[in-house]
Amino acid sequence: MQYKSVYKVPNGKLLKISLESDEKNNYIESINITGDFFAYPEETIEVMENELKNISLNRERLLEKINSIIKKYNIEFIGLSAESLTEGILMCLK
Amino acid sequence: MKEKWRLLKTENNTASTNMAIDRAVIVANSKGMVSPTVRFYNWEPPAISIGYFQSLEDEVDLDVCRQLGVDYVRRMTGGGAVFHDKELTYSIVVPESHSQIPKNIIESYGRICRAVMKGLKQLGIESKYVPINDIITDGKKISGNAQTRKTKTVLQHGTILMDVDVDKMFSLLKVPNEKIKDKLIADVKQRVTSIKHVLGEEICFKDVAEAMKTGFEEEFNVELIEDILTEEEIELSRKFEKECFGAKDWNHKR
Repeated sequence: MQYKSVYKVPNGKLLKISLESDEKNNYIESINITGDFFAYPEETIEVMENELKNISLNRERLLEKINSIIKKYNIEFIGLSAESLTEGILMCLK
Repeated sequence: MKEKWRLLKTENNTASTNMAIDRAVIVANSKGMVSPTVRFYNWEPPAISIGYFQSLEDEVDLDVCRQLGVDYVRRMTGGGAVFHDKELTYSIVVPESHSQIPKNIIESYGRICRAVMKGLKQLGIESKYVPINDIITDGKKISGNAQTRKTKTVLQHGTILMDVDVDKMFSLLKVPNEKIKDKLIADVKQRVTSIKHVLGEEICFKDVAEAMKTGFEEEFNVELIEDILTEEEIELSRKFEKECFGAKDWNHKR
């Protein structure tokens, strides 16, 4: 299934997600994370998109995975956060 | 003795050349081939630049760009879509380790924006930094800024609006919801201003550049010495233009 969401991060930037999930909406098949936020180093957003493949669309699991990717690749978000990215992804299913 | 930084004025380049020069200066500075550099430039033809993370086709109406002869390019910095028309664009390239540059990214945005504010003050315009990346005057945005850090070098570039045509800008940009487009345009007209609107008269590029030169010199306690791009930088910028900023792969990659 294909979904899109547009989420204004509180005190942050505009996050736009497009998501492909399995038929039961259990996990992410592919994801595009776009918007006018900042992330350092920039190229890690593609790493984030790759690492989120096959991750369960469950809030806790998603947040945990995003936080571990941020830590592993030393990503710094400005105008975006692990929590708001999780929110933007889950908003696709609403 | 004040530290000497380099000042470049490169007027009337295309979008892809401008972005390629910024990247070439990062490489040259990170290799120690050139001093920290401040550059003032504009865009010929006018162009839309989009942030690194934005989707080109979600943000920009490419058909209208073609009709109006407006160029487009993906920046290496994050942030939003900008219509570069009547403005002065600056970029500053300086090592991350430089004593004048805060290690913290947000703090360094503020520091560099203060140079722009001092420049505006030279023109008689009082302004305020609004984190993350805006400068406002009378509550309206007059400058937007974006920063990246590569190979231990900081690049920040930003616009200083000399005049603004919100209707033209919105004919080029796509909005998430067409139904509220008119309201959005009205809102943005309330929230954006320019040197011309504030002062009630047009100031030419050269005079804005002179004011900004003073602003950067005062903020960073340096002397800016006007110079030109080195041979290596010109060669590098041609390479980056061809391989990156002028290439469909890069501009359409998201």
